[in-house]
Amino acid sequence: MRFIAQRIWLEQFAVLVVKEFRQLVRDRAIFLYIIYIFTLDMFIAAGGPSMELRNANLLIHDGDYSVASRELTYRFRSPYFRLTDVMMHPEDGMHLLDRGKATLLLDIPPGFEKDLHADERPATLQVLVDTSKSQIGYLASSYSARIGESFGRDWVSQNSSASGATSLPSIKNQRRIWFNPTLNDSWFYGISEILAMITVACIFLPAVAAVREKERGTLEQLLVSPLTPFQIMFAKVFAMIVVTVIGTAVSLFAIIHPVFSVPVQGSVTLFFVLTALYAFTASGLGLLAATFARNSGQVGMILLLIVIPTIMLSGIWTRLESMPVWLDFLILFSPLRYFVEIAYGILLRGAELNSLWTPILAMLTLGVALFTVALMRFRRQFA
Amino acid sequence: MNAARVTAVVLKEWREILRDRIYFLLAFFLPIVLMVVFGYGMTQEIDDIPFAVSDYDRTALSREYTHRFIESRYFDFKGHLRSVNQADTLLTGGDVQFVIVIPEGFQERLLGGQQTEVQTLMDGALTMPLRTIDGYVEAINSAATSELQIEYLTRKHAISPQRAQNILQPIKLEIRYLYNQELRDIWSVAPSLIMFNLMLSAPMLMALSVVREKEIGTIFNIYASTISRAEYLLGKLIPNVIVSYINGIILMLMAIYYFGAPFKGSTIFFLSALLVYVICASCMGLLISLWVKTQMAAIIVTIVSIFVIAMQFSGMMAPVSSMTGVNYFLAHSFPPKYFNDIVSATFLKGGGLMASWQELLVLFVFFVGFYIFAYLMFHKRGKT
Repeated sequence: MRFIAQRIWLEQFAVLVVKEFRQLVRDRAIFLYIIYIFTLDMFIAAGGPSMELRNANLLIHDGDYSVASRELTYRFRSPYFRLTDVMMHPEDGMHLLDRGKATLLLDIPPGFEKDLHADERPATLQVLVDTSKSQIGYLASSYSARIGESFGRDWVSQNSSASGATSLPSIKNQRRIWFNPTLNDSWFYGISEILAMITVACIFLPAVAAVREKERGTLEQLLVSPLTPFQIMFAKVFAMIVVTVIGTAVSLFAIIHPVFSVPVQGSVTLFFVLTALYAFTASGLGLLAATFARNSGQVGMILLLIVIPTIMLSGIWTRLESMPVWLDFLILFSPLRYFVEIAYGILLRGAELNSLWTPILAMLTLGVALFTVALMRFRRQFA
Repeated sequence: MNAARVTAVVLKEWREILRDRIYFLLAFFLPIVLMVVFGYGMTQEIDDIPFAVSDYDRTALSREYTHRFIESRYFDFKGHLRSVNQADTLLTGGDVQFVIVIPEGFQERLLGGQQTEVQTLMDGALTMPLRTIDGYVEAINSAATSELQIEYLTRKHAISPQRAQNILQPIKLEIRYLYNQELRDIWSVAPSLIMFNLMLSAPMLMALSVVREKEIGTIFNIYASTISRAEYLLGKLIPNVIVSYINGIILMLMAIYYFGAPFKGSTIFFLSALLVYVICASCMGLLISLWVKTQMAAIIVTIVSIFVIAMQFSGMMAPVSSMTGVNYFLAHSFPPKYFNDIVSATFLKGGGLMASWQELLVLFVFFVGFYIFAYLMFHKRGKT
């Protein structure tokens, strides 16, 4: 007898899930959007502009016109720098920097080569860097400093008599970058975009599906049928989890992995199981949002207020350490905060299940809590 | 153009904004929330970067070298590792950003005037601020090397440290950071966020206000009335521009007073440019609203297009000047790039009309173009 009740429950559930799939496919705007975020959007995001310094526009004012000054300027070259213009006066260069037409100005004073030969004083030259974009500005100045150093070293070994013969103590920094040896930004962009888009889909889809039924009044119909609120809600969530997992698989195996050669170091099965778990957690947030909205315009706006903070306050883009203290509490409620650790762990760092228990449990707890609150509010509104 | 009819639409629209509580709240609340969230979520301040050291030498020199990193305000020392194998666990778990491995014989080789190698193992999973961190590590390392060499030469040839330095470093690069001397990332990001947030919220509010009428069906009243197309569009535009302009001023004040970004340029010029930009952005929303039928579709189309245009092709993330090919062309085809130029010129560089009149002119051309296009696209009688 008990067995039959369970079978009926499952059959009802299956019918509801199929209904959700049909409704999703028939809503053209949303269906196209879901296809977009897991395909074209991945191309755009993963192919985004690199954060490496590339072709920074360089201005040169060469007041010396010597062999040494020419050799130095020659070292500022692609891919980092691109010589844009040669200035007659440094002031003209300042003007171009003000206008944002260049990133840095190398100002070589007259007598540069003469100073190089003299031991009394170093040959001084100025580099003016536009740091209004601080990251790019810092890289431009840091690379300039390295060029200056290596030029100085080479000059010493070629021209100096005092130290040329003796060897000098030096510390060489051997940099090894783990998990992304060539510092390919596409890996980071690609994985971050997948995580962001899973979040969008999981919060957005169930919320829209729930509000649509509220708006049209079909929810009342479902509630007077022999279905429980849990069945109705969970069918929506289940259908959208399936969609999300399929979407994730498509973007990972059809785009991010083959086109941008992002590796999958850990277990694929583990990744997808945990993606489904994450999808469940995030959809709790979406359902909760749906209980606050009356029509789809409102749910759209509320979702923006939930989806974007969930993504931005997750450490997907920046280190959480640098966030202000008053946001720490809110960050706890971003399910993505836990999934970032898990996804980067499995995909790039090759982490295994036993090192991921803390974020998994935290995520699961949050998911159950969100789902319970959403279900309670839902029951109160309609029952 | 009948002023009375335009006013009637403006008043009706204004009442609608005030009466729909959620809409009102979101119209003013959304940009502020997004400003805070993006402000913290997108800045890459380099401070308290966790690192560990695996010191196989354990000598005075290796300790001195380690201390250079511990004392840096950018790094947060997490402790000494017993062996390099521990680095594996720490890096895989994401607990530290990098591990410095100092080999045995570090001090011996250096005192003997030889080269020695240290290893920096870095977690490259999140590449965003990694190059900057690498830059700081490299800078500390090269400062250490140069001090050692000066000391060595001074001792060996019995010359003054000053002279030793001149021999070793015949050229001195004086690097001056312009516009943002302290390299505060938030100073770069916060002003650009004014551009980004307005490009997200202004078109969305505008598009929703027209599409809502389509969805509810009240737009048929407009179709049947004597009001002309241009009057209706203008009547819709004005209240939404006012809301978004107020938002723009709030965002500007937040950038200055909450995030502390310096505003060095001309206030009057910036406020005028802001107005033109807000009108431009609202007209983009108008175009979207003519094309879609439901509010949900309006939100989706706005988000999809704006995130790509205003985030990737505006110069907010990477400078437009170093883009090539299609990207360069795309960046120049939409308003955000031009307003971003104005924002960074007025905020950090102290510019005004003289510096940015060309960008302002382009924005103005965009506005006129968008409005005429919207006018031509809007039909009171449907195609069927």
